[in-house]
Amino acid sequence: MIAALLRAQWLSMRLGSSRGSLLSLITGVIWYGFWCSVSYAVGEAVQGYSVSALRIGVPTGLLAVCLYWQVVPIISASLGSALDMRKLLVYPAPHGQLFLVEVLLRLTTGAEMVLVLLGGAIGLLQNADVGGWRGGPRILAGILIYLLFNLLLASGLRSLLERLLSYRHVREVVVFLMLAVVTVPRLLMVSGAGPKSLGGLEPLIGIAALPWAAAGRAVLDDAPAVSLLILVSWTVVAGWFGRWQFERNLRYDAMAAQATPLEAAPAPASSWSERFYRMPSLLLRDPLAILVEKELRSLARTPRFRMVFVMGFSFGLMVWLPFVLGAGRDRHDEFAENFLIVVCVYALTLLGQVTYWNSFGFDRSAIQIYFAAPQPIVLTLIGKNIASLVFVYLEVLVLTGLTWALRVGVGPAKVLEALFVVGICALYMLAFGNISSVHYPRALRPERVSQGGASSRFQALVFLLYPLALLPVFLAYMARYAFNSQAVFVVLLALAALLGGVLYRLGMESAVNAIGKYRERMLTDLSQGDAPVTSN
Amino acid sequence: MSSPAILVRDLKKSYGSKAAVNGVDLEVPRGSFFGFLGPNGAGKSTTIRILTGLIPADSGYIEILGMRLPEDEMEIKRRIGLVPDESLLFDRLTGAEFLEFVGRMYGLERGVAIERARDLLELLELQNDRKVIGEYSKGMRKRVAMAASLIHHPDLFLMDEPFEGVDAVGARLMKEILSGQVRRGATVFLTSHVLEVVERLCDRIAIINNGAIVTSGTIEELRAGGESLEDAFVRVLGAERQLERLDWL
Repeated sequence: MIAALLRAQWLSMRLGSSRGSLLSLITGVIWYGFWCSVSYAVGEAVQGYSVSALRIGVPTGLLAVCLYWQVVPIISASLGSALDMRKLLVYPAPHGQLFLVEVLLRLTTGAEMVLVLLGGAIGLLQNADVGGWRGGPRILAGILIYLLFNLLLASGLRSLLERLLSYRHVREVVVFLMLAVVTVPRLLMVSGAGPKSLGGLEPLIGIAALPWAAAGRAVLDDAPAVSLLILVSWTVVAGWFGRWQFERNLRYDAMAAQATPLEAAPAPASSWSERFYRMPSLLLRDPLAILVEKELRSLARTPRFRMVFVMGFSFGLMVWLPFVLGAGRDRHDEFAENFLIVVCVYALTLLGQVTYWNSFGFDRSAIQIYFAAPQPIVLTLIGKNIASLVFVYLEVLVLTGLTWALRVGVGPAKVLEALFVVGICALYMLAFGNISSVHYPRALRPERVSQGGASSRFQALVFLLYPLALLPVFLAYMARYAFNSQAVFVVLLALAALLGGVLYRLGMESAVNAIGKYRERMLTDLSQGDAPVTSN
Repeated sequence: MSSPAILVRDLKKSYGSKAAVNGVDLEVPRGSFFGFLGPNGAGKSTTIRILTGLIPADSGYIEILGMRLPEDEMEIKRRIGLVPDESLLFDRLTGAEFLEFVGRMYGLERGVAIERARDLLELLELQNDRKVIGEYSKGMRKRVAMAASLIHHPDLFLMDEPFEGVDAVGARLMKEILSGQVRRGATVFLTSHVLEVVERLCDRIAIINNGAIVTSGTIEELRAGGESLEDAFVRVLGAERQLERLDWL
């Protein structure tokens, strides 16, 4: 059964375009190249440390591995590849085998950590103080069992989250809670309300009964038999949890959970949501007005988009707030002064994965209506860009309110500056995004919260583009700092806007030309069905 | 004499070394109910996609409603109603919102588009509620697609399997609507695998196989000797063969 599944997946992937393969190769080399160097550095460090240092370092590192593996897929809203049960449940495939494949697929969100663990293991094998090559079986056993523990735990968490995130009106709350769980400890730490350093993690790495501590003790030859027993116990618990959640997902009907109540009448024209959706018709003429209106309606109802939108202001705030509210920090330093701009630009970049980087993703095969309608395609792209900007500025509005409430250096001048800077940065992002949307379109299922973003490697490429896109604005800020002159800042910002405008225009022309040439290929890419394994 | 609704000469379209459409000649008179038949993979959908401007042809002459494609593409699009094989529906809009969207994309005033959308939902027995299209059944989706093709009152309908997945009541309703459109002078060009439907609705047909037209004419001309359309279809394609025995079946 597994062989048939893998073959079907391979054949499905084989149909991918060579453009996609090339992009995948480039991003793969960059992304995994980076993690290989991290792995090498970890190996070198572990090889040279004394046992006493390793007693703290190894469990801490293993805890970091666990956190990355379990938490990063959640906060990046990319839960990785998974079996598409709608296609597989019709076959008499034993659930145990499907679960096995599902567990192995968790490698898609933790391959980086496998590299790091590998580097650490090699380092330990070369460290004579912990037994060196003689301790090989013990070290490898500890690392492999810990790897399995993470795979099983990630599988259970993924199943649980996928179910929770599919409930109407629940997903945004879940996302917010998840973010709070991740960031509040850090907030407490830097604000002085909690432990002041990683020393505060001592209870987490010091208790031998915890999995990372047990794994650490096992590989360091510290009561290895007991430690391995504890680790195996944790792995069994993680396996039970994973299988339990997997079985629950098999019986779960996501479509039913998301269904509109039968008695729901159309929203009255006077409702706030209808007024919001109708806003473009007050300001623009058709077809641009209806194109923007359609985007606003569609995106606002797309679970995946809503989740990222909530993340845009909540996650950004939680990540950057500690830098401002930290104990003893000056609320009037350069960073605090520009806090609103930082979080707004962060929100702009986060929204990209569900809007401008892959503008046609949620439309799927319905993209053909843009080609069939008697309207120039450039208007469709402009409409999508305007809708993206509406949501970006909504984020700015929310963030302004929140930062004002937190009393973090927000005056009218800063709000105005944020509006301009976000607009200028958006020009660059949209310019790149329009090209990417046309050349690398990817069909997305709007109802799937766990699917819709790019793969982590594509995100890596995007993160490489961000510095390029943000460079002109960054230079304007540097100039203001260096020359202590507002006039220089304004002039450079104006130049950045001008350059952004030119780039946007060129990007738009290139995208429109590409649509003319590759329309058929776009239709094919966006109409493709899924393979047995759905990615990210 | 008015030009035909569709005039195609030596139309060609290849994918790699495979010719999907290989020298198609076609003439569809105005006001006719035209059935475009053929086995799976014969080139029907590709032809319709080319006629709607969704994909470009490699070569050939195309005239629709007296206008040249691709030269007069925008004006042709304004006068075509399209029901493609794949969904052109936006899953996160309600039926009413989608119809308004299509109406306004075809240049209707907002108020007119909203009013027509409401009328069409009623005509096609679709509920005007908050349910989004993504939650519709296959048959309901086809009805919405049909409604979308009607909203701008086109002169030519290009439909790829419009009755697929539609229940008997819905199909009957859609057929009545299309017949009404032909009576007012519009042209309907459709593909269907349900030959009974084609036999009952269409006055002219063309059969395509391996990317080329193998026969065309009126239904009567095709059904030589009073045979059924299905028999005639199989005969024209030369597809009759003995069912091979499989030992295990």
